[in-house]
Amino acid sequence: MIKAKKYWKGLAELNNDPIVEKLAQNEFVEDIPVDDFLGDSDLGSGSTSRRDFLKFLGFSTAAATLAACEAPVNKVIPYVVKPDEIIPGVANYYASTIYDGHDFASVLVKTREGRPIKIEPNKTATNARVQASVLSMYDSARLKNPMKGKVDTDWETIDADIISKLEKISTDKGKNIALLTSTIISPSTEKLISGFSEKYGNVRHVQMDTISHHGMLEANKSTFGVRALPTYHFDKADVIVSFGADFLGNWGSTDYATDYANGRNPNKKMSKHYQIESTLTLTGSNADERIPIKPSEQAGLLYSLYNDLNGVGTADSRISKIVEALKSVNSSIVVCNSNDKDVQLLVNSINKKLGNYKITIDISNPSYLRKGNDDDVANLISDMNIGNIDALITYNVNPSYTLVNAHDFNTGLSKVGMKVSSSLYMDETATKMDYVCPDNHNLESWGDANPSNGIYTLMQPTINPLFNGRQFQDSLLSWTNNSKEYYNYIQSHYMNDDKHLEQPGISLISDEPDWNKKLHDGYFITENREEYNSDNEIFSAPYFPLLSSEDIEFEISEKISMGDGSQSNNPWLQELPDPLSRACWDNYLTISASNARDLGIKNWNVSNGALNGSMVNITVDGYELKNVPVMIQPGQAVGTVSLAVGYGRTHAGKCGGDVSEGVKPIGHNAYPLSNGGVAKIEVVEGTHEFAATQLHHTMMGRDIVKETTLAEYIKNPASGNHTDLYHTHDGKKKASEVSLWDEHDHETGHFWNLSIDLTACNGCAACVVSCHAENNVPVVGKEEVRKSRDMHWLRIDRYFSSDMTKEKSEKENISAITMYADMENPSDSPETVYQPVMCQHCNHAPCETVCPVAATSHGMEGQNHMAYNRCVGTRYCANNCPYKVRRFNWFQYSDNNQFDYNMNDDYGKMVLNPDVVVRSRGVMEKCSMCIQKIQEIKLTAKKDGKKVADKDAQTACSSVCATNAIVFGDANDESHKINELKEDSRKYDLLDHLNVAPSVFYQTKIRNKA
Amino acid sequence: MQKEAEIRDPLILGNKSYHDITKDVSLPVEGKANKYWWILFSLSAALMLWGFACMAYTIGTGIGVWGNNNTVGWAWDITNFVWWIGIGHAGTLISAVLLLFRQKWRMSINRSAEAMTIFGVAQAALFPLIHMGRPWLAYYVFPIPNQFGSLWVNFNSPLLWDVFAISTYFSVSVVFWYIGLIPDFAMIRDRMSAKISPMRKKLYSLLSFGWSGKSKHWQRFELVSLVLAGLATPLVFSVHSIVSMDFATSVIPGWHTTIFPPYFVLGALFSGFAMVETLLIIMRKVVNLESYITIKHIEYMNVIILLTGSLVGTAYITELFMSWYSGVEFEQYAFINRATGPYWWAYAIMMTCNVLTPQLYWIGAIRKSFVWTFILSIFVNIGMWFERFVIIVTSLHRDYLPSSWTMYSPTFVDIGIFLGTIGFFFTLFLLYSRTFPVIAQAELKTILKSSGSEYKNK
Repeated sequence: MIKAKKYWKGLAELNNDPIVEKLAQNEFVEDIPVDDFLGDSDLGSGSTSRRDFLKFLGFSTAAATLAACEAPVNKVIPYVVKPDEIIPGVANYYASTIYDGHDFASVLVKTREGRPIKIEPNKTATNARVQASVLSMYDSARLKNPMKGKVDTDWETIDADIISKLEKISTDKGKNIALLTSTIISPSTEKLISGFSEKYGNVRHVQMDTISHHGMLEANKSTFGVRALPTYHFDKADVIVSFGADFLGNWGSTDYATDYANGRNPNKKMSKHYQIESTLTLTGSNADERIPIKPSEQAGLLYSLYNDLNGVGTADSRISKIVEALKSVNSSIVVCNSNDKDVQLLVNSINKKLGNYKITIDISNPSYLRKGNDDDVANLISDMNIGNIDALITYNVNPSYTLVNAHDFNTGLSKVGMKVSSSLYMDETATKMDYVCPDNHNLESWGDANPSNGIYTLMQPTINPLFNGRQFQDSLLSWTNNSKEYYNYIQSHYMNDDKHLEQPGISLISDEPDWNKKLHDGYFITENREEYNSDNEIFSAPYFPLLSSEDIEFEISEKISMGDGSQSNNPWLQELPDPLSRACWDNYLTISASNARDLGIKNWNVSNGALNGSMVNITVDGYELKNVPVMIQPGQAVGTVSLAVGYGRTHAGKCGGDVSEGVKPIGHNAYPLSNGGVAKIEVVEGTHEFAATQLHHTMMGRDIVKETTLAEYIKNPASGNHTDLYHTHDGKKKASEVSLWDEHDHETGHFWNLSIDLTACNGCAACVVSCHAENNVPVVGKEEVRKSRDMHWLRIDRYFSSDMTKEKSEKENISAITMYADMENPSDSPETVYQPVMCQHCNHAPCETVCPVAATSHGMEGQNHMAYNRCVGTRYCANNCPYKVRRFNWFQYSDNNQFDYNMNDDYGKMVLNPDVVVRSRGVMEKCSMCIQKIQEIKLTAKKDGKKVADKDAQTACSSVCATNAIVFGDANDESHKINELKEDSRKYDLLDHLNVAPSVFYQTKIRNKA
Repeated sequence: MQKEAEIRDPLILGNKSYHDITKDVSLPVEGKANKYWWILFSLSAALMLWGFACMAYTIGTGIGVWGNNNTVGWAWDITNFVWWIGIGHAGTLISAVLLLFRQKWRMSINRSAEAMTIFGVAQAALFPLIHMGRPWLAYYVFPIPNQFGSLWVNFNSPLLWDVFAISTYFSVSVVFWYIGLIPDFAMIRDRMSAKISPMRKKLYSLLSFGWSGKSKHWQRFELVSLVLAGLATPLVFSVHSIVSMDFATSVIPGWHTTIFPPYFVLGALFSGFAMVETLLIIMRKVVNLESYITIKHIEYMNVIILLTGSLVGTAYITELFMSWYSGVEFEQYAFINRATGPYWWAYAIMMTCNVLTPQLYWIGAIRKSFVWTFILSIFVNIGMWFERFVIIVTSLHRDYLPSSWTMYSPTFVDIGIFLGTIGFFFTLFLLYSRTFPVIAQAELKTILKSSGSEYKNK
């Protein structure tokens, strides 16, 4: 500090006038202890100037401010002792099983750092819902604690309560306990349940299916003495006739799609597939010929088919072709979706007559995936209503939502003494229960399954339970006072149980190492199967007249995405477009164009293209649904309407609908209309807003999906695969031979190619969900989908045929303007094609040339790369993409309350693949050909000192494709199958005239039709 | 004194003296603004602020607040961009090309036309910036040395060419404009009283670069003007050619066409002249320039509009012909869809406003009418906006794969930003009209006396 100068305040002070001294002393009445803090004699001689002081002040203020702006703290908890099997950055795969009472699959679960993030098929194929189930595990809407009377409690309390009440009931004579479960395919659970029954006595175990197969099961019981579904071999059939059974989508095993595709290889043998149905299903859309009928006509048609086969009369003219085809081949399959026992008896007789048993239909190795018994359920409900049931324990079912007579169930439920639910969610049923026991998700549980005779799969947890749940089997163990853990229970079940002996004295699983091996494989097959004796078969053919009516008939349908609605709160599935209508986030009444016209129902596009539609009130069998949106669906039989189940959930969660949180249900619950019948439809005021990812349904006469018939294909394998030639100075040439471009070097290293077989692809959309999971594709919600901003990297385009063709317009002299206008309308009963489209990884990529900052550029291995952190978001690349596969981040889709889906949820975010960056707002994204997977397989191969093996080269879409339609591989490696496909005469490039030289190519669609 | 045929109509009416011109030109700068100016200014500024708010909302939230989608990646953003760039075209043409061709009539209008160019290009330049998903990284588009390793811009991309074309055009236009302003700023400076408005006098002194009107100054002034006119002339053709290449080099039917460079340049001149007319017809009334901006000027511009409008119409028809003649179904459908598809109304507006209504200028009475010209100039402005909308949106909304076909509809933000740029443009123009000499008076004085004036005055 600068030495203080002496200043004087006035002449008086200067002159040392005593008054100054006096006043100065009086300034403070009391003495101020100035000397105490200014006592430091060095203070006056300090060197801190005023400027220095301000510097210090400034610095400390700035420092304090900076210190306050601390970056948000994210907690990372390191392993104290690293588990041996977990190496950060390296995925572990565990074989397991997914079975939610509706869908079954043997799977491999990919885990990263202890988190399951992806499901791959193992013994069986997977469908879209199985693929999505990994996200359902991370659903924060799941039950977190056991609840007693809507209040969280602990397991000890709940167990004590339940056990004491059960014991009381069991000691009282005439009191009944009922267990209402989904179909149980776990042998150890069955044993547990019988143990439970033994302990408490008078326990009734009732199984139910959301989509009942009771009629078929009963028919098989009466025909074959086996209450089970047969195993179908669609690959062995020459003619497949399906009366409404959606075996590629939702009916039966996920393996049927694989079998079906195997039986339809145009180079070997291609089956002929007829579908006779009312509502266009995935299976129907793949049929060679499809005959739309009313539900009431089904039985009569089957009977006329039966008669014709037996030489009694001729079949109805609509199916006479089918009868001929059936008669002309050795092996065939006739399946039917009817839930009427008599109809299924008739179907069995038809198959018997055709000699299909033991060839294409295997009843000696039946499938146990459906066991539900409608009679048992009906008895249970009536007993509940008369007060005969004193305790009801439900497991893995949601009868208040899925039952056709849910109302009766609910009234009965109020008369049950003790109501216990073991479920994943506080669902429609659980909310009415006294005790709610949170179940564990498949991926958190131990388990076993016996999906069909001789085949066993095991389920193992891939993560510690996320919440304070307990799997039902463990609950049963504690309610039967068994101190064993379920894991040990299963083990001892297979090792010691008498019933499961390979040979007398040898159990299915011999010892610990054998158990470990089987657990590692995820499944095992045994020759020790339940014997089937075909001597006692009794076939009968109940008579059905061929009905016809003028009424509009209703039937329920099931969507690929939503299934029975148990995963309704899964945003991946909600946003998965229906393969046929291409709409998501909705269910709607589907109706034919002519019925819609008659009723005054309209679908129209608003100014931004989004689809709107009329709404109706529909009454079926006295049950009315109000304000149901209607979609005009080509292929819907005239005089029929249909509504998908799985929607209208009132207690699913923030995504699927939760009235307790004020989230409106999505769509309407169609289960109460399950029985079908005559529909009374009344158009009401109001407009419904659909969210469809495809607004235009025909190919407009363009060569987008190239197709031919089998007969033509046999004559000329290149038929249908027409390529235009262009005049040059050097004669006529293909577009690919005329190029302005310098070619990239594709000889060195890998050259990754992807082939998509349009004959094999059935549009099941498992690949779409798989891509979502692998690549952290965001969910954007209904409003954004309506704005044509869905983010799917891989979409499955669906085109319907139109009555107007170029040939027709030429022949009839129709002007181009009229022709194109007419081409926009699909036929009423169209042919359907599916075409998966992702980034085509062009080797002359239009997107690459136009990006001003080179954010998208060509890779060394044939891919088109996207450098997110270089992208400034001009969207020029997307405009210039002829395939329109690029997806722009219009908003911030993660950690944004406007997009409250899995990426805005601490649990939901755990499913994110750590190998793939989560894109921020303003950047362009698209299919990367799973670059992270390619990198991984390359590194693994390099470490092993080997070439990348054909089977290891997989993308997310190719690895889950049940029909092997998507094949990925290295075109520079002769051993890869992709080379064969690249040379195939069916191979073509989409929009080949542009000569963008894609690395993705297609194989022509071949139909087995005249 | 200029030599001029006696039968030509005079370019300056009202027997003005040199001093009259000085007074008339400096009056708006020196005087107080009238009520109409304030009304217009408040309106424009309000629109501008609303536009800025919409831009801030876009940048803060995401491009999703616009109506664009994955199929229609560009819509009003690039439509507005091309429209404003087009409007900016007439200025350079008037000041550079007409200078080289010794068209004296340009002198009354070139200053404002150039101002319009600069303000128009400034609006246009906003759009490439705000249409980006991440505008804060806009500097990535400049080839500046960076720490990202060897990361460089993509010289193949027409968007990068745009960056160079627009920045060159903008800088040359500003320099050219400024050179012309120097003697006029000096004139205002000289008229300013150092006592009454010392700050303004100082400002205009700075702006006039010490101009003192020496012969040497005039000589250099003439020379620089000529050199810059020579430099600017090719820019008139290059800028819009390059803008058109954003579309012409793509693979999208309706975009991928070699006719675009001349077609866009003509369209730009067409719309530029229309906007000059719109502005000048208002300005001659508002700042009392009736003597300088006469029906003769308007008629000359109308002739150019008639010519360029007809050429643009020819281009439209050539496009239709080529799509049919090409035999390519995608091309054919693109044009059938334009004319008869869901956006037929946009195509009809474009055809009516750009091809049909300018043909009215064949009629002398309409060509020589301020009212008609004003109305028709607005028509052209609208028509040319729709031309860009038709090219961008109707080509994108239905391209190759029908599965991706959709539609586009603007949101309030799209509209807000467009109106905002109009507000911004008029705000700048109104400020300009109160602070700049709106007529190149120094040049204009060279044609005040012509050889035929005695005859004309009879």
